[in-house]
Amino acid sequence: MSPFETEVQLAGSGPESYFSMVIRRLLKHKLAVISLGILISILIFCFVVPLFFKYEPTYSDFSYLYGSPNSRYLFGTDNLGHDTFTRLMYGGRISLIVGFSAAILPIIFGIIVGAFAGYYGGVLDNILMRITDAFLSVPSFPIYMALAKVMGQGVINIILVFSFLGWMVDARLVRGMFLSLKENEYAEAAKAIGVSNLRIMFRHLLPNAMAPILVSVTLTVGGAILSEAGLSFLGLGVPSSTPTWGNMLTNAQQDIFIAPRLVIWPGIMIFITVLSFNFLGDGLRDAMDPRLKL
Amino acid sequence: MDNREVLVDIKNLRTFFYTEDGVVPAVDGIDLTIHQGEVVGLVGESGCGKSVTALSIMRLIPNPPGKIIGGQIFFHGEDLLKKNEEEIRLIRGDKISMIFQEPMTSLNPVYTIGDQISEAITLHQKIHATEAKKRTIEMLHLVGIPEPEQRFSQYPHEMSGGMRQRVMIAMALSSNPELLISDEATTALDVTIQAQILDLMRGLQKKLGMAILIITHNLAVVAEMADTINIAYAGKIVESASAREVFKSPRHPYTYGLLKSIPKFTEKRTNEPLPAIEGMVPSPYHMPKGCRFNPRCPFATEKCREEEPEILELTPGHLVRCFHPIEP
Amino acid sequence: MRNYIIRRLLQLVPLLLIISFFIFITLSLTGNSLRSLLTSNPRITAETITKLERIYGMDKPLLVRFVYWFKAFFTGEWGYSREYHDAVLVLIKARMPVTLALMGLSFLISVAIAIPIGIYSALKQYSLLDYAATALAFFGMAMPVFWFGLMLMLLFGVKLGWLPLGGYSSQGMDTANFLMRFLDHLKYLIMPAIVLGLQEMASWTRYTRSSMLEVLRMDYVRTARAKGLSERTVIYKHALRNALIPIITLLMLAIPGLFGGAVLTETVFSISGIGRLLYTAITTSDTFLSMGTLMVLAILVVIFNFAADLLYAIADPRIKYS
Repeated sequence: MSPFETEVQLAGSGPESYFSMVIRRLLKHKLAVISLGILISILIFCFVVPLFFKYEPTYSDFSYLYGSPNSRYLFGTDNLGHDTFTRLMYGGRISLIVGFSAAILPIIFGIIVGAFAGYYGGVLDNILMRITDAFLSVPSFPIYMALAKVMGQGVINIILVFSFLGWMVDARLVRGMFLSLKENEYAEAAKAIGVSNLRIMFRHLLPNAMAPILVSVTLTVGGAILSEAGLSFLGLGVPSSTPTWGNMLTNAQQDIFIAPRLVIWPGIMIFITVLSFNFLGDGLRDAMDPRLKL
Repeated sequence: MDNREVLVDIKNLRTFFYTEDGVVPAVDGIDLTIHQGEVVGLVGESGCGKSVTALSIMRLIPNPPGKIIGGQIFFHGEDLLKKNEEEIRLIRGDKISMIFQEPMTSLNPVYTIGDQISEAITLHQKIHATEAKKRTIEMLHLVGIPEPEQRFSQYPHEMSGGMRQRVMIAMALSSNPELLISDEATTALDVTIQAQILDLMRGLQKKLGMAILIITHNLAVVAEMADTINIAYAGKIVESASAREVFKSPRHPYTYGLLKSIPKFTEKRTNEPLPAIEGMVPSPYHMPKGCRFNPRCPFATEKCREEEPEILELTPGHLVRCFHPIEP
Repeated sequence: MRNYIIRRLLQLVPLLLIISFFIFITLSLTGNSLRSLLTSNPRITAETITKLERIYGMDKPLLVRFVYWFKAFFTGEWGYSREYHDAVLVLIKARMPVTLALMGLSFLISVAIAIPIGIYSALKQYSLLDYAATALAFFGMAMPVFWFGLMLMLLFGVKLGWLPLGGYSSQGMDTANFLMRFLDHLKYLIMPAIVLGLQEMASWTRYTRSSMLEVLRMDYVRTARAKGLSERTVIYKHALRNALIPIITLLMLAIPGLFGGAVLTETVFSISGIGRLLYTAITTSDTFLSMGTLMVLAILVVIFNFAADLLYAIADPRIKYS
């Protein structure tokens, strides 16, 4: 590295808030900006376009099964005569909701575990981290399958299942942040004037740990969408009556020989969405890391 | 002094760093001469370009972002900057070697110190492994490491910072270099260890006779060791003279300020705070116009703000870059 | 060193206990399979069920049942599969080789591709290849595994017809010599192995790259250069060994994860291995079979945790054995 790091940092273009610095750096990250654009388009596609569209996702045209694309059915129809285009939009809704919820719920749990472990340290930290390690060492997918079978199919259940095994990385992350943050003078000062531990943890320390947490959320959304697709493909995910991008692939194995487009489209939607979330998360991480220079 | 042969002659060296935020003229026209067996101090605050000068001599400037864009570095009359990577590699660690600031991180954690020293020896002296091991143990003994045979197979993490710096010195001196560059080699150490390492370097210099370029921000470090002292500020040398001259009659206001900020035990204790140089080192992206020291200089005039002073030999051997040098 | 190994081994026992208890609880939540007989078999009465429950010890508390089961597990009594009408251990033994071959091949391919590309990316940061590798890694991480498998099948199996669509071996291969059988298996497994390893390959490339970049910035790399060592020696002797230390752990801990991926991959490519066995077991609520296959997973976790510790200790002299 250049031996001028301190000077380089001093030499920024005047005082600038952390938030605006992150935005400025993020905007410099072309892929992240493009990804953000794509994600917004996908959100519009899934949540706004259907309001102006003619078909319901449950509408079946039994006279046109496995139909090729035409002017009525832009992307053709599936084995039950559902309009693929419509189902891509409605399916995206559920997939995105599952993705977001399955990213936010475990992070809340992870924050709680990590905050207590990092702030109190000692025996509590030891116990919590051993449990975290044990959870972390079990490959999640087979357990997802078992849990999904136990709890039964359903959007809520899938979100709970993902949350159950999705908190460990975040817990470690938050613990690490808290370990160093609690040594800060303002934490010491707050403690000295009698602020309660809970208040110090969640009002004073947590906001300082938000940056990496946000990155983690962004990256987790993609992972959750992929897992949902995998479980649905195996018939263990969201009930097949509800369209999701994953569910649209349930019959993929047989459809691929009859109408490959039925397999290709949902896959591409999943792929692009996950890719965009990953790029965005990567851009955010770079933008928030003061050690990196853009 | 001057009848000794010139070993290193740096002429108008310019090393810039090209970052996304702008160009940093880290070294902007530095001249420096080192004679054989001479101890030269290069002193300045962090960011003045002293470490970059050292890395430029070694041709170890990370590129990108750094680049040597001008000047010459003559070593035995040959310009190091004109040599190709292969040629410079044979000089590096053989004729010129370097020790760094951080003894804790400067040694590879996964190899024994014996490995790391004998690696340098076998590379430059083309000798057999068993002989290299013998020589390594000799070197460890020379730098005052107790039980060198046992230490040979220890890993860096098993040693203290001071011991590791001794290992670094052993490594650097293992092939009898003509020039040893010490880049803040004692800065990261405890004060007592610092003194021991400086003592060791002084002793070894007397014994082995190599030239040393001591780079430091701390004038006290070079006070007892250096023959010549160069003061750098913002990428340029502002004053150059024998150590005696610099301490007795500093001519540049910056040198004067540096000297004033060293506490002296001989002086009567007063309640006044130590005088410090006001202001901050200029941002490398926005160098001040005129003399680079003018915003912090108590004697600055209109001329200083407009024109850049040349370095002038005021008395024989005493060079100063200032329009208004302090009268001795 | 020996004490260290023993200590680490002892620490793995609680890990195995926690994981297996966790699996046990999860599966016991699936419900009592005997109770379900009440609805499926009209000749069975509630009294008989209670009797059976007592015989099988199912009226005991969860923890007691777990201890029984754990003991039985160690004596090789893994129970009987309701779905396949065969002993769980026999079923698993028969399917183990295929899955191990698939995971092994997948691991080898992923390592052989990811590590060199990661190193090269770091050395030639911001070069064309670095950008290409980064792009591919991001693509790999965003690809649904089974979907990628289907796409490969569509391309190489259906459109080009180069590779078989599924299965594990061709007919009539039993009599062929070892090499022929090996090549035959390879032909079937190459596509699934790539699919299975895709995500790991992608993330290992990224990790190797960033680990290498981090190490290249270290002071000791500068020291190595200052010694006058050639760039080759600096990189392959001084930098690489340090960069690989964290990668070793990553690689070892990822292996049990391949087992999870095998469920999807074996389903897509109709390979009857442990992954498919687990899938069938879970979807048909075949408790003993689920338990058995998940315990194979737990053992894999424990073994590779140990391997990770061991290799880490060998690679990094800073680890203290005492």
